[in-house]
Amino acid sequence: MNEPFALNDAERPVATLRETAARIASPRESAVLVDGVLDEVTDSFFGVESPLGMVYVAAGPGGVRYLAPATSDEEEFARCYRERFGRFISPARGLADLAERVAALGGERVEVALDLSRATPFQRRVLETVKGIARGEVRPYVWVASEAAFPGASRAVGNVMANNPIPLLVPCHRVVRNGSYAFGTGEKVRLLRLEGASPEEISGSPYLATPTTGVVCHATCRNARRIRPESRRLFRSVKGAADAGYRPCKVCRPVVAA
Amino acid sequence: MFVRTFSAGPVVVKSVETEMRSLDQTVGLDPIAARLADGDPLAPNALVEWLYAELYRYAFSVLRDERAAEDAVQDAFERAFSALGRYPEERLRAMRLRPWMYRITLNVARNGLRRRREVSFEEPSAVDGAASDEGREAVIDVLAALGRLPERQRVAVTLRYLQDLPYAEISGVTGWTEGTTKTLVRRGLMRLRKMMVEDTRAGGTR
Repeated sequence: MNEPFALNDAERPVATLRETAARIASPRESAVLVDGVLDEVTDSFFGVESPLGMVYVAAGPGGVRYLAPATSDEEEFARCYRERFGRFISPARGLADLAERVAALGGERVEVALDLSRATPFQRRVLETVKGIARGEVRPYVWVASEAAFPGASRAVGNVMANNPIPLLVPCHRVVRNGSYAFGTGEKVRLLRLEGASPEEISGSPYLATPTTGVVCHATCRNARRIRPESRRLFRSVKGAADAGYRPCKVCRPVVAA
Repeated sequence: MFVRTFSAGPVVVKSVETEMRSLDQTVGLDPIAARLADGDPLAPNALVEWLYAELYRYAFSVLRDERAAEDAVQDAFERAFSALGRYPEERLRAMRLRPWMYRITLNVARNGLRRRREVSFEEPSAVDGAASDEGREAVIDVLAALGRLPERQRVAVTLRYLQDLPYAEISGVTGWTEGTTKTLVRRGLMRLRKMMVEDTRAGGTR
């Protein structure tokens, strides 16, 4: 069979072609090649237990892009993901940084790469600002708008929060309304309480000041936490505190409304 | 993105719409297209596993080089998925993925071939390094003979007898009618036979 089988067989080109087809070697390590294709053409996802219950997390090469409660099935999640990002998802295979993501979901201070490339520049600034709000603290919408360098855009911030593609990792539950009914949904309250912020305490008086230093803070600011009980002065607005002679804290930077 | 690629090649291919219509009439529903549309997370893997080997063989028959064939198939899947990801669900569900993937692979491989010719001004010779492998050499000889056929005949013969596609699916890949395809296959085979006779006379026993 070492004779060249093809070119001296003048009678049967079809047989020669079929034999050639069978002789074209399959690629070596085709499983590796298939995985290589899959890594490139799909993003990966996994399901995991979180403070919100079971959630699905999807990530591309640039980081986590999407997180949704696993109230529906995987198919529904995959369809939503494709609609939003135009990509398919496969079950996660490279689980190297999975542990970190899971820890971050639990609220631990772990840096997890987020892919916000699909967001508009405004949305990105807002989401990045909110990502920086520490566990156990809350901030009003007006603060987020001001920190993101879009003062006055509180309502737009609200829209971004409502469509947050990555809840928990971008902790939109830590953004609250200033005022007496600051805490709307039960889920949000439950999450905040889990993180050590006490909704009842800060509802109605979201700002704390102390005459010792003459500074006014968000009530959940780490500096406000250190104020002795007898020195606590409660305020409904930064304006009120400012009128009483307090200056805004330089750490939590409460916004003086016009 | 691809539509432009399709129309750039020398093979006469009708518009995407024409192709989709002709496929609808000829081939039954594609189960993997339906799974992709439904959001089955295992569907992308199923598609790649289903077609990788035969698309590789097809790319190899055009490029005659292992690495180039692997790259072409990878590239073809990347193009395919980036388009599929943006298709509405109904369109995705109606796809005939196999002929569609063949067509993308054909375009990618042909572009690769053209680029290589522009650089080196010669046919790809993949004999280097593996020259001792007689079987491989014989394969390359046959593929080289195929490569000397006119483009349309080569595509028709390759899809029919190397890839073993039924005529209905070849129409799906190329947009030609079955009658046209059969004619091209017949002429291609005649020409191949002639080439083989001449080669045998010229080369004698090797």
